[in-house]
Amino acid sequence: MRRILGIALAVLLLGGVVAVALAGGKDEPATATKTVKGVIGSEKSAYFRDSDVVKALADKGYTVKTETSGSWAMDRLALKDFDFAFPGSSEPAPEIEAAAGVKGAQTTKPFFSPLVVIARANAAKVLVDNGLATTNGKNSGTLLMGPYLKAAAEDRKWQQLSGSAAFAELTGTVFIKTTDPMTSNSGALFLAATSNVANDKTVVSDDAGIERTAPLMQKLIRVQGALEPSTDDPFRAFISGSGEPLILAYESQVASLLQQKPAPGVTDGMVVLYPDTTVNSPHTFVPISEKAEELGSLLANDPKLRELAVRHGFRPQNGVPEFTAATASHAAYLNPELTGIRQVSAPTVKILMALAARAKS
Amino acid sequence: MSVRTASVRRRLAAAVALAATLLGASACDAGSPDPAKPTQSKYQEGKLRVLASSELADMEPVLKAAKAATGVGVELTWTGTLDAAEQVASGKADGKYDAIWLSSNDYLRLRPEAAGKLSSETPVMSSPVALGVRAEALARLGWKPEEVTWSAVYEAVAAGKLTYGMTDPVRSNSGFSALISVASGLSGAQAALTDADVKTAQPKLKEFFAGQKLTSGSSGWLATAYAKRGDVDALVNYESVLLSMNRDAKAGLTVIRPRDGVVTAHYPLTLLTSAPSGARESGRALTDYLSGAEAQKAITERTFRRPVAAGVQPAAGLAADKRRELPFPGTRPVADGLLASYENELRRPSRTVYVLDTSGSMEEEDRIGRLHSALTELTGTGDSGTGQRFRDREEVTLLPFGDKVKKVLTHVVEPGNPGPALDAIRNDVKSLRPEGGTAVYGSLKAAYEHLGRGNADAFTSIVLMTDGQSGDKARDFDSFYAGLPDAQKRTPVFAVLFGDSDRKELSHITELTGGRLFDATGGNGSLDGAFEEIRGYQ
Repeated sequence: MRRILGIALAVLLLGGVVAVALAGGKDEPATATKTVKGVIGSEKSAYFRDSDVVKALADKGYTVKTETSGSWAMDRLALKDFDFAFPGSSEPAPEIEAAAGVKGAQTTKPFFSPLVVIARANAAKVLVDNGLATTNGKNSGTLLMGPYLKAAAEDRKWQQLSGSAAFAELTGTVFIKTTDPMTSNSGALFLAATSNVANDKTVVSDDAGIERTAPLMQKLIRVQGALEPSTDDPFRAFISGSGEPLILAYESQVASLLQQKPAPGVTDGMVVLYPDTTVNSPHTFVPISEKAEELGSLLANDPKLRELAVRHGFRPQNGVPEFTAATASHAAYLNPELTGIRQVSAPTVKILMALAARAKS
Repeated sequence: MSVRTASVRRRLAAAVALAATLLGASACDAGSPDPAKPTQSKYQEGKLRVLASSELADMEPVLKAAKAATGVGVELTWTGTLDAAEQVASGKADGKYDAIWLSSNDYLRLRPEAAGKLSSETPVMSSPVALGVRAEALARLGWKPEEVTWSAVYEAVAAGKLTYGMTDPVRSNSGFSALISVASGLSGAQAALTDADVKTAQPKLKEFFAGQKLTSGSSGWLATAYAKRGDVDALVNYESVLLSMNRDAKAGLTVIRPRDGVVTAHYPLTLLTSAPSGARESGRALTDYLSGAEAQKAITERTFRRPVAAGVQPAAGLAADKRRELPFPGTRPVADGLLASYENELRRPSRTVYVLDTSGSMEEEDRIGRLHSALTELTGTGDSGTGQRFRDREEVTLLPFGDKVKKVLTHVVEPGNPGPALDAIRNDVKSLRPEGGTAVYGSLKAAYEHLGRGNADAFTSIVLMTDGQSGDKARDFDSFYAGLPDAQKRTPVFAVLFGDSDRKELSHITELTGGRLFDATGGNGSLDGAFEEIRGYQ
């Protein structure tokens, strides 16, 4: 049964691919362009679809066509069909290179976005009052992973936390709504960070580590019931006023939303909690064919493309000043310097997938 | 496996036929069903073929605007959530649809083989499943709407102070969501439901479902049927449907989102990976349009669903206070176990009469053979899944007629031992022979008389299948019906258009009795599909 499940899963991961045909049309410049095809994590889909990005790439002679896939499943795709792969973190890159037969390829890391937990004011206040989080001002703070994971291990309910009784929505087991850790980068990185804390603050690297941390990982995942395939779903639910009180998202989703200047009601009651332990893992550009060799450094270095990445909430490589400047008017929500945040590495793909499988089982 | 596959194919054909009917298309030619060609639409550029939840019929104006803005037209085919899961997971949806647009993909995602077939899931809008209560009932119960919990609803029902209508959880997501909500509320589950939670809640759930007086295969028809009946206190349905009933039909329902939690539908527009690239491009354009501020505003104002775009205000009447979101079960055994328990143990049993035209004309075009196979399909197999055979405790009566009622054949499916009754029904079906005339009205009278003699605390319904015009008079039946006691008048007739049957005649019967007309003139498999779909209403 396990085995069949594994095969089914592989099929599932392979299938999570979307064709995103881009650019072309009337914006096509007069100069000859190179059409390059890539597979990207879905969190970058909006960036590559932005007409300004399409234009900036065209100005440099590129028409970029993308499909999306779970970053942790790209190594199982028919990579010969693509000129580049662009997963949401660096960990899958070696597997992708090996699978594509381009071991040692010149990868670039154009941008980065840490994971955050979004909470509504009520939930954030209860977490703070019970020692599970701290806040700096009204809209941002830090999730204290040690106390939080201890509470999760003990199946803590909202109604056991003082101050929750006033809020009808704060009942039931406290959990962070994640995505499916087997298919989605954010869910996988959440397990990477929490397993690190649970493994005496070291990266899980062997079976013993998996055994040690799996029970807690199960508690984090199984309580949630059905899992979403991408961070877009819970994020939209949050915006629509429904959904869980604590949502895992990329900082880029929040930063992008803030820069769109939404109606006050949407973000007033939003508190952005940075977990005090986070995986520092940049989106990594892996060139597969010669055609895409220069594209990674273009994305990383072209001023216009960097500016557009910031508009989509990403932090460009060595771009904290740009990110800080662009989001200055929303500083109350963000922590550009990641002050007080411990940045850790993720386990290998193999270990992380084993953890994810255990967490879901 | 092949039985299941065949069943899916037939349901598919029926769903298409129904969609064609609902959209006023004339894809099916009643006179000459062509068994070789299902009425399946081919991919065309600029048209998106979408398998969708039926309550999305209210999106028509928004989709019209979407077409004007993007050039992408949408062809919707209605289906239930579980049926859609089966079609997608089995691969039957490949090449027939470009996208799915269901109230939720949660059940579908429990099928691992389905996930590789989906891409670009984008939630478009949201609506929680809520309880709409009539003013008299609310006053009687002395409820403060913002404080009502599922437990309080249960207590009112158990005390005999509240009755309600709800869709069949096996066919419709609003019913399934309600089942999850109530099971969570009554088991005290603090996280995603487990088997143990379901077991804990079982005794109370049984009492709760004793108060369900109205069932339906779809959220839309439930609203219609509820409006026709004045004797049901409350309705479980999407917040959007309940508020629309208040606006459009002055239903006067107080919409309660129970304080202990709700299950919310997010309507993810989802592309199928099997769709041609042009269709995926169309799907993306449509998704972008629907996510935009203009469309989001139109959606919330016309349909009372909640917008998912930042900066678009929910329509007036949508309460802003938050509710806990109750998790959908994370595994298929829990979800299926809950459904099986509802179907075979928790709900009130069904008493179902099939009034079957076995006149001489049924010999033509092997109509009798198709009837045999459609009825046999409903008896399932030894290991049929939930909803794929007559339920435990169900009383099934076959009432074949020609010039008069030929026989009245009744079997009750025994819990834990369904085999003998199902075998007996199958044997009775085999014995049906075409002979004689078409006495529709006299036979319907006999069906009502039969139901009048048995257990009154059951969901009673009559299925009428005829392939021709009635030989006896409507007037006699009308006066017979008018003379029935109120309780018996509530037994609806679900009529099936088949062969040369008379649409006007059958519409008259379904309208009089509060039933619904199903079209099985769409060629091979459509009779199976109609019978299968009617199961949601029985």
